[in-house]
Amino acid sequence: MTGSTHSVNEHSPIPAAAGIGLRFPHHELVAQGRPQVAWFEVHAENYFGGGAARQVLTSVRRDYPLSLHGVGLSLGSAEELDGRHLRRIAELVRSIEPGLVSEHLSWSVVGGRYLADLLPLPLTEEALAVVCRHVEQTQAALQRRILIENPSTYLQFRHSTIPEWEFMSAVAQRTGCGILCDVNNIFVSASNHGWDAQRYLNALPTAAVGEIHLAGHALLTLDNGRTVRIDDHGSNVAAEVWALYVQALRRFGAKPTLIEWDTDIPAFEVLLDEAAQAATLMRAVAGNHACAA
Amino acid sequence: MPALLELQRSLREQLFGDATGGEALLAGDDGALRLAIYRNTAFATLVNALRLSFPAVQRLVGADFFAAAAHEFIRRNPPGSAYLNDYGADFAGFLAGYPPAAALAYLGDVAQLEWAVNRALHASDVPRLDLAQLAALDESALSHVSFCAHPALSLLRLEFPADAIWRAVLEQSDAAMAAIDLSSGPVHLLIERNAAGVQVRCLSAAAWEFTARLSAGRPLSAVLADGSEGDVDAWLAEHLALGRFIDFRCSTSAGTTVAIGETRS
Repeated sequence: MTGSTHSVNEHSPIPAAAGIGLRFPHHELVAQGRPQVAWFEVHAENYFGGGAARQVLTSVRRDYPLSLHGVGLSLGSAEELDGRHLRRIAELVRSIEPGLVSEHLSWSVVGGRYLADLLPLPLTEEALAVVCRHVEQTQAALQRRILIENPSTYLQFRHSTIPEWEFMSAVAQRTGCGILCDVNNIFVSASNHGWDAQRYLNALPTAAVGEIHLAGHALLTLDNGRTVRIDDHGSNVAAEVWALYVQALRRFGAKPTLIEWDTDIPAFEVLLDEAAQAATLMRAVAGNHACAA
Repeated sequence: MPALLELQRSLREQLFGDATGGEALLAGDDGALRLAIYRNTAFATLVNALRLSFPAVQRLVGADFFAAAAHEFIRRNPPGSAYLNDYGADFAGFLAGYPPAAALAYLGDVAQLEWAVNRALHASDVPRLDLAQLAALDESALSHVSFCAHPALSLLRLEFPADAIWRAVLEQSDAAMAAIDLSSGPVHLLIERNAAGVQVRCLSAAAWEFTARLSAGRPLSAVLADGSEGDVDAWLAEHLALGRFIDFRCSTSAGTTVAIGETRS
């Protein structure tokens, strides 16, 4: 505990620079070697307990700005949020004082069971009301603004009535939350559903975008011969996604940008190279209006 | 158009149960194939969570057998929360009654040990009991004291030498494996976490019994009255010194309980 009277964002902001998603295989390297990285992001659920993992997180937090990214709160559940899960996040937020806290536009829990994936929502007025209620509840419990990430999806519901970019914007507008713009997810979903990725970017409210995610994805051929892009975070950022990132930088200015890699996690140097690429683009494209947004 | 809750219940049955026909909710003509992507991701995530918690079980049965058993377990017991380090408490019991694993009678015991190790690994950091507060109690209060065990502490009495099997498997030591006598009788284990990591200790039956009763919250005076063949003073001193208890209470003779230790949430 720092005992500081300043708000968290005043004393540990996430810089408009390239950060890296910290995963267990790199815990020791980061804890011991303190590599040059602008900031780290971790999955909240990996640190709900104590012991060695929590020790590493606490020690990393001393030397780096840290962002907390939840994957299990299930903001889109029609039922009530899991109060215990929310309390665990709140405890972690109090303990490590992250610069940003984020979650997803998705659902994972029904009937008290966790379905272990970020499942897509039907984009309806009912779902919008549910998500907004849960974002407000979360922000009240954490006593801070959170960011909501646009999902990657592989299916759409027949009865959806709201384009995803409008849904995201409406959540931000109604709840005051920020947007975590996952550029890879926009590319993946746009490819899978025939959307216009540029139109998606243009529709997001610039002032609400507080962070950008970049990751690799994979191509899966279905039994019917069609190809689906899968957001597996298991490879380098694709060339088309770097191109879309440039468009995002033009629109949003320099923003904290995270490199995520979760399957077949490579040597740390590979992540450093990806982050360096993001930093180079940020300087080249958005260097002049880093503070514009 | 289904209400959101109805849709989510239906998708749970499509993804984790035997229900079909969910593609009627979906745009396009290949909804079933697209639902399968989510089903595969969910099961891969959960099988992997179980692999991380039960590495010795996986080595004992092989990756394919483990995946098949895990799939069956997941279908019957989907996780109750998104905190996956907490998922798998019932896996040992499931394996003990899983017919394809019947030939490995000790598998359930090894899984019980791995679950205790997993609990110790991820348990919350809690300050240990303040010994000065305990020392301040008078004689009569002391006789009514009972303890609250550290959340990382487990006590297991297992029919098979699961600790020896677990070590031999994880060290991949054929010699250690060959030296194990499955008929050597029950083992009495204490699993905990200290600064060096998770520890698995083998206790005498008497020390284990004493410790198990105390850590279950039975008053010290009652545990002493149960009788024990051993140096109970030394056992108690060790538990206190190593921080195995995090709090204590004082039960009056009337049976009401008064918290003495500092309240911790």
